[in-house]
Order: sequence, then structure tokens, then C-alpha cells
Amino acid sequence: MIPPLIELNRVYRTFEKDGEVLPVLQDINLQVHPAEILCLVGESGCGKTTTGKIIAGFLDPSQGQVLISGKPQSAYRRSERSKLRRSMQIVHQDPFASLNPAHTIEQILSFPLRRHHMVNGRNELRRKIWELLTLVDLTPPGDIVNKYPHQLSGGQRQRVSIARALTVNPQLIIADEAVSMVDVSIRIGILKMLHRLREEFNLAIVFITHDLALAKYFAWEGRLAVMYLGRIVEIGRTQDIIQNPAHPYTRALLSAVPEADPYVTKKKEPMKLRSDNIPSLNNIPSGCAFNPRCPFYMPGTCDTVVPALSNVSQFGQKVACEPLRLRGELRLYET
Amino acid sequence: MSFVNETNILIGLICGSIPFIMGLRSRHFMPAVISLFLCAASALVLGIPGSFIALFLMVSLIFSYTYINEQDPFLSRKSIEEVEFNETNTEFVVRQMAGVGRNLRWLGKALWRNKSGFVGFLGLMFFLLMVTVGTRMVEYEGETQIQRRQPGANSLFQPPSDEFPLGLDGKGRDILSHVVHGGQTPILTSFQAGLFSTGLAITLGALAALVGGYIDVSLTALANLVLTIPSFPLLLVLASIFALNDNTIIAAVLASLTWPPLMRSIRAQVLSLKEREYVEAAFSLDLGLFHIITREVFPNLVSYIAINFIFSIRVAMYALVGLILLGMLTPREPDWGTMLWAAQSQGAFFNSDAVMLGIAPVVAIALFQLSLILFSRSLEEVFNPRLRSDV
Ligand SMILES: Nc1ncnc2c1ncn2[C@@H]1O[C@H](COP(=O)(O)OP(=O)(O)OP(=O)(O)O)[C@@H](O)[C@H]1O
Ligand SMILES: [Mg+2]
Repeated sequence: MIPPLIELNRVYRTFEKDGEVLPVLQDINLQVHPAEILCLVGESGCGKTTTGKIIAGFLDPSQGQVLISGKPQSAYRRSERSKLRRSMQIVHQDPFASLNPAHTIEQILSFPLRRHHMVNGRNELRRKIWELLTLVDLTPPGDIVNKYPHQLSGGQRQRVSIARALTVNPQLIIADEAVSMVDVSIRIGILKMLHRLREEFNLAIVFITHDLALAKYFAWEGRLAVMYLGRIVEIGRTQDIIQNPAHPYTRALLSAVPEADPYVTKKKEPMKLRSDNIPSLNNIPSGCAFNPRCPFYMPGTCDTVVPALSNVSQFGQKVACEPLRLRGELRLYET
Repeated sequence: MSFVNETNILIGLICGSIPFIMGLRSRHFMPAVISLFLCAASALVLGIPGSFIALFLMVSLIFSYTYINEQDPFLSRKSIEEVEFNETNTEFVVRQMAGVGRNLRWLGKALWRNKSGFVGFLGLMFFLLMVTVGTRMVEYEGETQIQRRQPGANSLFQPPSDEFPLGLDGKGRDILSHVVHGGQTPILTSFQAGLFSTGLAITLGALAALVGGYIDVSLTALANLVLTIPSFPLLLVLASIFALNDNTIIAAVLASLTWPPLMRSIRAQVLSLKEREYVEAAFSLDLGLFHIITREVFPNLVSYIAINFIFSIRVAMYALVGLILLGMLTPREPDWGTMLWAAQSQGAFFNSDAVMLGIAPVVAIALFQLSLILFSRSLEEVFNPRLRSDV
């Protein structure tokens, strides 16, 4: 069996802020397989970007293990290590900050191509740049190459970022809120393009978003991991989770997603949480972090036991919920 | 005209005629004329190397007009199947030169756009002409001109006259010739000082920000230490202990006292640039630290550095003139500072015949400083890539 491209084993990550230690990630177990789509969803601040950076090797975990193709980083030689690093590329959220304003698009794309000898000679270099720009639907490339990033629209820049990531033939692209800052009308185009590139190059894509509707659309064929305050609370095939959400938090998120059918949307009632405040990272509730908001709160259990991910539902996804594990069902909490 | 070196001008004109004819043939008359003029002018100012540099730049300028995008396989709008990516070496060189030419045109446009900056630019060009061509036009009078003594006068000072537009100084020498010749040393020395100070600030600031840790702490502490020392008094002390008479050493001493503010802000800027997402992307594309410093971080600092470079030239010139005025440097001639010192020590400000000896260098220094201040306003526009548009 092919080992996963990247595997996070019991990964913890803390940040120090104003003398306080924030547990940003706790006990993250995650595998990214070749050519798969994995989507990380969760509210702002739950640690999605941090997870992405650990996957890409930008951050080291405070605790736990990161395996690249089944082996820890230290098992590789230096030259191999930088190659592995290159095989994972991030496409950032902000298309205004991710391209250097001082270079033209041609320069931006030629730096990695030349540095890693991906092409022979300048004619091949230009052909390659042309091909890359065509791949990301920036046509005709002649209109783009000599422009500076500030002369392009947000969507065009995001496409350039993707083209830049493709220069080094990556195996994995981490798209961190890659479309959340571009115009809604352009989003679908970029997402479709990512799908096409994935098939063409056998890319794995880690798609980070706070928008479950987007996750549902993009990762329908892939897997979904729902994060809450630094932990994964539910993970499984997207179709399973969307059709049969198990964790109360996932249910709450899903109940707020509008449906294509306006009649259904109107009938749909957002799930009532006991509180709308997300606790801050320096004051994470004991037990299950979701317990103060959870409508299915079980006193004595939820506030004492930290639930582990386990196969609790018959649908094949893993859920971290103690009442579900104990009784297989949830009961509304009554005061 | 004795100040014109005929050979230089001839070579300049020959060089200029190449882009001139190219421009005429492609019916770009303005660039053609400008090319001819600039080649001749740079031959006049900078001699033969200058005319060759101008030749290269002006041919590039003409190429930037004649090299139409259609010739470039890359820019033609054909689909990828139709495009042939086999550019010959000549085509490649022409394309690169056209790029240089486009940059030149951008530079001119950016300079022109900010009117006060353009005035400053003209002012600086005037001073450049003065210290290069002007010194050849106006003969320097170093010796005492005793024969100019007026019958009955008790000094050699003379007010402005038709023969001497700025009058004569205490030794009967033409003040105009000293104004023209006296610019070289202070301008060159403060330019050097600005160069040293900026270079030091960039190196130390970037080092502190990129290496961090122990190096960062000690360099920042050093900067703060130097910053708290009152620099002009220290300069006075240094000048009186060491006989400072070599211009480069004076520049180095000036620089060693003026680097900290710029160093601290470079450090802060690099720290913030380091966190930018495009730098992160460069790291993950494994482009190498050298590339990241020189190509990703540095270009975004250039306008900032250039403005501070100008500022440090100004500071250095004030300090330099101040030192001479206070008699802390061996008086050297010709030098604007020495003129001021002489004016001050000979009571020229209270003598209507001699007052020009004081006013002339003050005006020269003030105009030079003003040109620098005005010019620095253009720099932001010249170097900020975000303002860049197609020419
Ligand atoms: N370098 C850092 N130093 C200190 N705290 C950090 C750092 N990076 C992230 N954090 C903190 O970690 C938490 C999670 O950050 P992260 O960026 O991973 O969240 P996110 O899920 O991507 O949120 P968003 O949707 O807003 O992008 C935040 O509270 C943030 O303040
Ligand atoms: Mg984020």
C-alpha cells in the first residue's frame, strides 16, 4: 500500500502570546493520501491555518510526529528533504499579499523554474511559462506576462499563485481559504480549475475553509475534517458527513448552510445552541470543548471526559463525542 | 570654447547619431532628438565612458519604441500551438534592451509626474554640470591677486561688478570661481558619507532582522547607544583629536555616527517583510536565502532606502560645513565651507564690500539641499513598483 503523503500523529502546537501559552492545536491525527481532496472546516481561529502550515513544514509541532511518505523528516537526507518540502505548496488566502509587488508575472514564474532547473534554456523557459499560464486559464498569456501583480484582479492573482505552486511539480497543494477573498462570481471557476489540475497532475489538495457550503461543493468526492478549538471533532467522507452529520457541532454548522432549493432553506431551522460565544483559546472548557454550547450536553460526562475520535456512527465517519460513544444517541439537554 | 574637449564631443556625437538615425528611420523623432542630445551631453560631462553608456541606453530607448510586441513570440496573441519558442540570440538581446528602454521611459515619466521632484532633479543636474563642466568653464583662482588692489582701498574685497559678478574675496580672488570649484569636495564627501552610512545601516539592519537572537540584541543595543551620544559634539572631539584631512576618512567618521536611525527602521521593515506571504512562498519554493534577501525583500525597501540616502547626504553636508565653519578641519580650498569660515573670520558679514563671500556659499549650500529635498519626493514614485503602469 502506498503510504500517505503526510501523516500527523498526535500533533500538538502551542503559541506564546503575551506571556500566555495558547494550545492552538491539540491531538491532531490526520492523513493526506496521494491525489485525494481533504477539506478542513471550522470557525475562525480554530487552527486550520496552523494545521496547514504544519503539513507544509512551515511550523514544527510542539509535540507529536509528522511523517512524510511514512518516514519522519529526520530520516531523509538534506537534499531529499528540500525536495519533499517543495512537493507541498501553499496557496494563500490573500491574493494581494502572496505575490511580490516588485516582480512581473514572468519573473515570478521564472524564479522557481530556473532555480530548480526545471527547464533548459530561455526558449523552453518561456514555453513553460506560457503553458503554466494556459493551465490556470490565464489566456492569452501574452497579456499577463509583463504585468505587475497590482495590475491584475484578485482572481487573476490567485491563478498566478496557483501557477507558481505548479512550477515545482508538487504532490500536494494546500489551499488556505484560497477563494474566500475573491469575488463570488469567480470562485466557481477557480474551484473547477483546481479540480481539473488535480486530475491532470494527480495532486492531493488540502482545502481549508470556514464555509461548509464551499467544502461541500469542493470536497464532495473527498474527505472532510471538522475542527473546533484546535481539535478535530469529526472526520470522514464528505458525502457521509453531509448526509449524516454525527457531532453536534457539525450538525449545527450544517443546519446553517443554505440549500439550493429556497423552499427547503426556508423550512430549515438553524440548530439552537446554548450559547453563541466561542470560548477563547486561553480558557478552553474542560472535557469536550464544545460542551458549554452543545444542546445535547450531558452533565458529568461532557465537562469531564475529553472525547476521542472513534467510530461511533454506522456511517463510517469518526466522531469525538462522549454521549454518542456511550449511548449511540444524543438527548436534548434540559435545564 | 576651451571647456569643451573636442574629441569627447565628437565621440559623443558619433555615438548619438546611431540611435538618432535608428529613431529617424522608425519615425520616432522625439526619442531620436533626445538620444542625440543626451549622448552629446554625457560625453561632455562624463567623457568617453559616458558616451558609451549613453549609447547603450539610448539604443535601448529606441528599441523600446520599435520592438513591437508582435515580434515577441510570447506576446503575440496566438494560441500555444502556433507560437514558436525559438528566439535567436539577437532577438533575445533586442528584447532585453527594449526592456531596459521601457524602464528608462518609466523613469522619465515618474520623474516628470511629480513636478516639485522634477525641479529638484533639474537642480541636481545643475550642480552635477557645475562640478564637472562648470569647473572647466570657470578658471580657478587660488593665488592672491594683489594687482587687483584698488587705489585707496584698505582690503582686496570688492562688491560685485561686471567683470566679477560675485565680487572678490579677501585675497582679491573671484568669488564666482570659488563657488563653482568649491562644490566638488563637500558634495563628493557628503555623498560618500551618505553611501557609507546607508550601506552600514542596511547591512546591520538586515543582519539583525534575519539572523535574530543574540546578534539582533547586540546590534540593536549598539544602535541605541550611538543614537544617545550627541553626535555633533562627539564629532568636534574626534576632529580635534585626530587631524581629519582625508575626505574619505571624514566621510567614514560622519557615517559612523549617522547610521543608527536608518538601521533601526531597516530592521523593522525587514522583520515585517519577512512575514509576508510571498516571502513564505519563496521559502517553500526553496528559492534560497540569497534570492529571498536580494530579490524578494530588498526591492521593496529600495524607495525607502533611497529617500534615507538623500537624507543622510543632507545631514552629512551640514555636519561637514559646520566642522569647517568652527575651524575643526584644516581649511582646504576651494570649498564652500572654507568660504563661509573665511567670511565669518574676516567679518565679511559686516562689510558691504565683502558680504558676497558669506552669501554666495550659503545660497549654494541651500540650493543644493533644496534640490535634494525636492528630488527625494520623486523617489517614492520612481521606485514604488505598485505605482508602476505600462509605458
Ligand atoms: N505565530 C503565532 N503566534 C501566536 N499566536 C498565533 C500564531 N499563529 C496563530 N496564532 C493563534 O492561533 C490561533 C489559530 O490560528 P489559525 O491561523 O490557525 O486559525 P484559522 O483557523 O486559520 O483562523 P482563520 O479562519 O481566521 O484563518 C489563533 O488564535 C491565532 O491567534
Ligand atoms: Mg487561517
